Amino acid sequence: MSEGAMAVVKPEMKSYIWLQTADGSIQQVEEEVAMFCPMICREVVQTGMGSSKNYAIVLPQRVNPPILGLILDYCRFHQIPGRSNKERKTFDEKFIRMDTKKLCELTSAADSLQLKPLVDLTSRALARIIEGKTPEEIRETFHLPDDLTEEEKLEPLRNITDDPRIRLLNRLYARKRKELKEREKLKTVEAEEERVDERSADDLLSYINSGDGKGVRANKSKKKNRRRKDPSKDALSNKVNGDHDEVEAVSTACSHGEAKDLEVASPHKASKLRDSFIGTFSPKLEFDDGDMDDDLDPAMREELDREVEDFARRLNSDWPERMQELLCLGPPESKLLPVHINGTSSSCACISLDRR
Amino acid sequence: MDDLISDLPQSILESILTRLPIRDAVKTSILSRKWRYKWASITELVFDGECVSSLHEGSTIEGSLVKFITRVLFLHQGPIHKFQVSTCYLHSCPDIDQWILFLSRSSDVRELILKLGEAEWVRIPSCLFSCKKLTHLELSSCELDPPPRFKGFLCLRSLSLYRVLVAADAIENLIWNCPLLENLALSYFDDSLAITIRAPNLKHLYLEGDFADIFLENTPLLCNLSVVMYMADDMAEQFELEQSSNCNFVKFLSHAPRLESLAGRAYFAKYLSIGDDPGPLSITFDHLKIIELCEVSFEDMKEVLVLLRLITSSPNLEELRISAGANTSPAGAPDSLDIWERECPADWTFKQLKVVKMTDVDGIPHEMELLKFLLGSSLVLKTMTISPSTYFKHNRMDMLIELLRFRRASSEAEIIFLQE
Repeated sequence: MSEGAMAVVKPEMKSYIWLQTADGSIQQVEEEVAMFCPMICREVVQTGMGSSKNYAIVLPQRVNPPILGLILDYCRFHQIPGRSNKERKTFDEKFIRMDTKKLCELTSAADSLQLKPLVDLTSRALARIIEGKTPEEIRETFHLPDDLTEEEKLEPLRNITDDPRIRLLNRLYARKRKELKEREKLKTVEAEEERVDERSADDLLSYINSGDGKGVRANKSKKKNRRRKDPSKDALSNKVNGDHDEVEAVSTACSHGEAKDLEVASPHKASKLRDSFIGTFSPKLEFDDGDMDDDLDPAMREELDREVEDFARRLNSDWPERMQELLCLGPPESKLLPVHINGTSSSCACISLDRR
Repeated sequence: MDDLISDLPQSILESILTRLPIRDAVKTSILSRKWRYKWASITELVFDGECVSSLHEGSTIEGSLVKFITRVLFLHQGPIHKFQVSTCYLHSCPDIDQWILFLSRSSDVRELILKLGEAEWVRIPSCLFSCKKLTHLELSSCELDPPPRFKGFLCLRSLSLYRVLVAADAIENLIWNCPLLENLALSYFDDSLAITIRAPNLKHLYLEGDFADIFLENTPLLCNLSVVMYMADDMAEQFELEQSSNCNFVKFLSHAPRLESLAGRAYFAKYLSIGDDPGPLSITFDHLKIIELCEVSFEDMKEVLVLLRLITSSPNLEELRISAGANTSPAGAPDSLDIWERECPADWTFKQLKVVKMTDVDGIPHEMELLKFLLGSSLVLKTMTISPSTYFKHNRMDMLIELLRFRRASSEAEIIFLQE
């Protein structure tokens, strides 16, 4: 694409427009092709630029040389008036086949040159790429950062007002789900272990029959297994087994002021809650959650919903009262708090706080 | 590996998001932080049955759809220019009123399309009439009741009413009070509608259903007219009794001098023939290029006359498609065949007619006269395609023999006879 080559082919027969791209390089383009772009056309008409190398039209920054080449190919084809619609469509379909990165750059460049038909074409292509894909696939295709926090992902269309109650609830929701997910994982892990356990159960029996002090330990492990065996049945009843210990842990944590994880215990937040709460808040901000929650089965989800509603209701009432209740080991509330203490897996909690 | 797309200008992202089904557009909110609310400012919201996926337990598609639409509206930010709900799952429900109220409040909406289930009529709330910027309104299975002081949609260009319950004078006023109206489509009104259309800017008119009486009183710019006119058999007689001299043909077409294409299906030709023959028309349709008429009964002299008058008022006709209506007998009595000679202007020629297509031809006298007339007066005719009807097959040879004899004014004319 050098002037030398052009000079050989009767330059005076055609007129050219000079264009300068963001990197400083200058090229000349046949006039009718370049004028197909409204932005270039306007520049030529209004300012008279582009007639020579020194007065090249400076193109917007988003237009780099390879992309300019593509755009000019497009213009070169379409500026010929005699083409049929079918021809144009066929060309467009072929033209649009390129990798996503180029497609995005092309869209951006076409937009800066105000070449609407090309913008429409590329937008359509991009929409086709996005349509039907899962969020992960879309993120991968466009290199999008996965920077939504857990709770934001689960409640993607929360209240725009950024209500602290909702944030809180979302966090709880998120943790609960994570926890349940992990319990699910453990369930599958545990399925393998089960065989191991059964074998040991036989051993146990033989031990028991042989009458040994070891039987006690066997019982203990049995209990542990049992607890781990049914995570899905009732997340809560599971908790009840171990919650005595955990609630005591709560009280110790609170009394020591180590309420790092226990956000709900923070008095500062509590007062905010109390003040701003109107009471019409519904925790069920499910929006099309059929798609978002694909890995939780309905039973678990219902469980979760119920818990969250519970918690929301409790948020309504006075916080200090609540704390009192907790410290006095009131049965229902305590299930939830241990989650925060330990952050992650509840079963770990069971083990670590097992004082027996 | 940086982000390819999130920093594109909002106009492009809007362009992309608008091209996605609304469900996918909303789902982009969980892609990344930047994408959280990008969907919420798209200006076009198009909902259909696909928006809600598999049913949740205990809810209907209608319920899920209503929830979905309400939530989208609630979370949406910014102007809404197009709002469309087209699904047969949705019937009359109070939420529809709320949506229209919501749209009318910001009064930015330009295109409103409501095509709902046909089981019930949705009563459109009067707040619709305060959407001042409407340019495109499409309603289906609705009940419309414009308030008495309604001054019209001043920006409305396109109006389409399908199975809408509305009083005739309300429609007339609506049409008259929308000065920019260019496209009008009226289909299937419950009672036979008798209206007068006054629309100085109207260019495209589509009518379908059974209409008692249509009078295009003021449609000087009309260029496309397409009518599917259903008529009960006894209607014709009833018309005859009621309208003595007013000819429908005149009422319909005499105020549309700029007509470019005319398509009449079902009983349109019959409808036009009701009333007395107006004699040679005073106007010519200089721009009329395409005529399509279906179910023309060549046994009825009045219909034949209508056709004759129509084509002899269109000197620049380029394409003519006729389908003959069912005939009762193969060889009808040759009644008044001389009308062709009498009523056609002397030395009439079609200077632009290139394509003629005639279907369901039986070979009855008036049909043959028409073909003879066309062949003899079309100077640049290229193709004449004839499809015989499925009845009276034994007549075909006679028909072909007669056809062969007709003089052709165009040396390039090809007669294509299509066997089935």
